Amino acid sequence: MIRKLTPDPSCSIGGIKMADQGAADPGNNNNNTPEASEGTIIKVTVKTPKDKEEIAIAEDASVTQFKEEISRRFKAKQDQLVLIFAGKILKDGDSLGQHGIKDGLTVHLVIKTAHKAGDGGSTSASSSTTTQAGNTSTSSPGTTPSSTAGSTGNAVPPTQTPNILTGFGDLAGLSGLGMGSSNFMELQQQMQRQLMSNPEMLSQIMENPLVQNMMSNPDLMRQMIMANPQMQQLMERNPEISHMLNNPELMRQTMELARNPAMMQEMMRNQDRALSNLESIPGGYNALRRMYTDIQEPMFSAAREQFGNNPFSALGGNSESGAQPSRTENREPLPNPWGQPNSSNPSESGGASTGSTSTTGGTNPSVSNPLGINAGSLGNGMFNSPGMQSLLQQISENPQLMQNMISAPYMRSMMQSLSQNPELASQVLMNNPLFAGNPQLQDQFRSQLPIFLQQMQNPEALSVMTNPRAMQALMQIQQGLQTLQTEAPGLMPSLMTGGVPGGVPGVIPGGVPGVIPGLIPGIVPGGSPGGAPSGVPGGIPGMPTGGGLPAENPASSPSNAGTNAAQQQLMQQMLQMFAGGVGGGGSATTQTPEVRFQSQLDQLSAMGFINREANLQALIATGGDINAAIERLLGSQPS
Amino acid sequence: MEQTRSYPVILYIYDMSRGMARQLSPIMLGRQLDGIWHTAIVVHGKEFFFVGEGINNCPPAGTPLGEPDSTVDLGSTEVPEDVFMEYLFSLAESTYGADKYNLFEHNCNTFSNEVAQFLTGKTIPSYITDLPSEVLSTPFGQALRPLLDSLVINPGGNNITGQR
Repeated sequence: MIRKLTPDPSCSIGGIKMADQGAADPGNNNNNTPEASEGTIIKVTVKTPKDKEEIAIAEDASVTQFKEEISRRFKAKQDQLVLIFAGKILKDGDSLGQHGIKDGLTVHLVIKTAHKAGDGGSTSASSSTTTQAGNTSTSSPGTTPSSTAGSTGNAVPPTQTPNILTGFGDLAGLSGLGMGSSNFMELQQQMQRQLMSNPEMLSQIMENPLVQNMMSNPDLMRQMIMANPQMQQLMERNPEISHMLNNPELMRQTMELARNPAMMQEMMRNQDRALSNLESIPGGYNALRRMYTDIQEPMFSAAREQFGNNPFSALGGNSESGAQPSRTENREPLPNPWGQPNSSNPSESGGASTGSTSTTGGTNPSVSNPLGINAGSLGNGMFNSPGMQSLLQQISENPQLMQNMISAPYMRSMMQSLSQNPELASQVLMNNPLFAGNPQLQDQFRSQLPIFLQQMQNPEALSVMTNPRAMQALMQIQQGLQTLQTEAPGLMPSLMTGGVPGGVPGVIPGGVPGVIPGLIPGIVPGGSPGGAPSGVPGGIPGMPTGGGLPAENPASSPSNAGTNAAQQQLMQQMLQMFAGGVGGGGSATTQTPEVRFQSQLDQLSAMGFINREANLQALIATGGDINAAIERLLGSQPS
Repeated sequence: MEQTRSYPVILYIYDMSRGMARQLSPIMLGRQLDGIWHTAIVVHGKEFFFVGEGINNCPPAGTPLGEPDSTVDLGSTEVPEDVFMEYLFSLAESTYGADKYNLFEHNCNTFSNEVAQFLTGKTIPSYITDLPSEVLSTPFGQALRPLLDSLVINPGGNNITGQR
């Protein structure tokens, strides 16, 4: 059975197609020993990545002849074929014997996708991309308007055509092309147009291994990019771009990003996640607050237009409310709470460690006093400060502002998260410089926390804040209290300043998310350690309840700042009253927490929680919720 | 413009079990396996390997596996980088696409073997390619086969696969 040497397309050896020209050899076995009679015909397996064929060829044939046969069989042009055997490339001038190609051996074949410029068969895109490879620099920045880096090198045609003849911009031809072909600019423009109209192509180009190769070499990329005159212009205008280009790491990353839209999304998502994580970590909240200041500023300027001045600067007379609580240890000396007293209240500022100086009007914000809250004015329920007054006025004049602030999404979410997470809230508040020097305050506030948070969530409370008339009424009350305070200091011996109603206006300046919780507790218990002469608020619950409160206030000895329990009671009552009584002035419960929680306490001790103190604290913190209290107790127990 | 430069080809061999296979295999499998081998071909300054995502490349020793446990010099190849990439690309489209990965039958070592043959005509050491069959010949391997079949290894790198 002679198999002819002359290439005959229909003749197939043994394997794939049965020769239909009388070749009677039935053997389908690839490894048939050839019964060559003339010349030695050998069967060589030619293997491409996709398939393989067995080709019969004379043993002493040249590579060229071999390629002829192959090109016929694989339907490819001879110059597209790259034959590899034993790691060597078979060149046309060689012979098969030279390489030791014998019967039954396998030769590897790679079919290059040879696109030449101006080649009619190829798409303009691919043709222009081939030129791209040759002339690396130019079109890259222009062609990728959408890519983040703007620096992708598009050297290879997109892998759109599914057959194996794709993916490879004929570099051999390219280097020739790149040398200033007159067609070049045109092709480039075509390429750009193609890319811009078809983002899909871009991603395909990105995925091509050649492109990826190039892109992973930042030096090359940079050269390419910088060589483009357009790019140079761009760089002049934006020095950041050149900076970016000079940073290989950054380039690599951006190239990755450009290449991979999924990765970009991932990064965005990560950022969002990171942000939300920031919120939940203790110190991170402050950082977020700092961030929010950036948002504040535009808000303020907007408000400023309306009001003519920064509402927050009015607060404490701050020049700028930008001083942020630092996350690092605060080395500033805490303000002297007993510094020059303010007007008629020498000791009121005792407890409030807020104001840095005791200037009445306002204080410059410092780290420990981000709002520039003046201790002195605070003692008076800081609402006496002219800034505060004007702020209140503004608020009442323009409910919109309040509305805006309350409804600001971040505030809402902040409040929600705070209420859901009392731990976080207490942390935030503890960080608040109002509390910095006063553990009593902290304790106090901690106990008030749940109520306070509820209060914040209480839509009624919110509506009060947005209701200008309500605000005005509150202001009046406050003023009345102050008057009372000055006129009859002895009347309200242990009353606290500001108080709950003062707490409401205290909300106002807290357009900043973190301020509100800071202020309210600051204000509410603000004067409490000052205890004695300062306060007013005791009167407030006292008034509606017909004076029942002062009577109820057993331990509030005038100048005793240590009556924690009593003050706690008062505070609680006030808060409760406020929370429950905004809408209708309900009567405040006048029982002590112990009394109120008596049944719960009993239950807890029956369950085995013998630490009554701790139980009480827990109950107070959770507002009487036994289960939550238990959880708190369990969580705080040393494991 | 055809150059006949030759480029060295090296096989990187990693023991993915970090030595545990050597110690535990007699107990678990009943026969001694010196390692769970993962291989990659290093040529043209890059390391190429086949994993669950498809054909990947990275700088040599750039995967999380770090430096290889051993290397084998496979000689050198004349295949220039462009041709090689083209070849890989075609492979990625055909027999080594991302979905073709199979821990036993068609894994990184299969790929390395094939590429090695393409580049140099040599195959990789047989103890590596025999590993799956060795494991499967044990009752333990048989029992675990369904689980292991679903395992796909993805140590990172840059993907070459054309269609994703």
